[in-house]
Amino acid sequence: MEEKPGQDRIPDTPLFDRKRSLGGYRINKMAMGLSKPENREAFKQDESAYLDRFGLTPEEKEAVMTRNWREMVRLGGNLFFILKISAVDPVRITEIGAHQAGMDHDDFLRNRLGKKV
Amino acid sequence: MAKLIGGLGTSHVPSIGAAIDKGLRDTPDWKPFFDGYIPGQEWVKEHKPDVAVVIFNDHGNSFFLDKVPTFAVGCAEEYRPVDEGWGPRAIPPFKGAVDFSWHFIDTLIESRFDPMICQEIEVDHGIQVPMELFWGRPAEWPVRVVPIFVNVIQYPIPLPSRCYEMGRVLRQAIESYPTDERFVILGTGGLSHQLQGARAGFVNPQADQAFLNDIATDPEKLASMSREQYVELFGSEGAELMMWLVMRGAMDRDVVVRHKHYFVPASMTGAGMIVMENKATASPAVAA
Repeated sequence: MEEKPGQDRIPDTPLFDRKRSLGGYRINKMAMGLSKPENREAFKQDESAYLDRFGLTPEEKEAVMTRNWREMVRLGGNLFFILKISAVDPVRITEIGAHQAGMDHDDFLRNRLGKKV
Repeated sequence: MAKLIGGLGTSHVPSIGAAIDKGLRDTPDWKPFFDGYIPGQEWVKEHKPDVAVVIFNDHGNSFFLDKVPTFAVGCAEEYRPVDEGWGPRAIPPFKGAVDFSWHFIDTLIESRFDPMICQEIEVDHGIQVPMELFWGRPAEWPVRVVPIFVNVIQYPIPLPSRCYEMGRVLRQAIESYPTDERFVILGTGGLSHQLQGARAGFVNPQADQAFLNDIATDPEKLASMSREQYVELFGSEGAELMMWLVMRGAMDRDVVVRHKHYFVPASMTGAGMIVMENKATASPAVAA
């Protein structure tokens, strides 16, 4: 199930394959670190310094610091890991979904999830 | 010998646990979802299993990407809730069925399945939520657990047919286990949902309903589907539904469906539940 970024075999559905896992390793490891309270504190105190500890590239750092979920995923971030950022800086998972879908939150709830909003 | 008394299937969405923690059970968003589980909880109360074998996936909590076991089996005395980022949840630790776990691992290896063996491991919402959905919030869990972790995140993930075959070995392990304990198996995950990419928020209620029928009547069809078909039909994360096949593979060809429930969306997921018994040994209770 190899695929190139941007060429998903199932449209708009990134599978977490070798390429994405290798590319996203730094972002995911940084996010995994947030399972520890002391790292959550470090992230809150000085996010940039915390990200540097994991050797994020400027592009990766920018994506994390601007909470650009779509870009984090494009760079190989996996939602199960990067979701931990929302434990430090709260955002609803549906907002993360809407952002990736390029939709307004209410539209996303209505049109994707079938909710009455 | 030990006895398999039922196969349960359920979603394990983390927001379900969060809803319980925040006291949202009876809010309009959640009440219809939780009410649908009441018959499942009653079934468990009535049938009093001793051991619950729970098939689920870790969600980047107990395992990172540095070491990814395709299948892992817990054989610990105790499994504590892991810190997923919000601190460990305040639920009682799960007691392990250590001796059976080792017996199962032996049976797997002898059947050419080679799992990772975990004597110390914490567990995430993948097992917590199903346990809470069927057993509520007791001060202590009335069953001991055997966790089976399946990698459904890092490709290559296992084939659906392999999950189904593992179920057969699980059945063999239960029926060759020299106690009179009563076992239930919980297949967990799904149903349709997608958290990543521009198709995020994809749900497929029609496919979910068909799955809840097929898991009882035509499991071979589900076992012969490709991983890509799962992703296409159920979303990138919904592909974890294949873990229900471990539970189903442990059951007879003919089963009786006692209870079934579907609700969409639980957070971003089509959520489903099923309670099945083998037809040959089904309890005389009236079917739902």
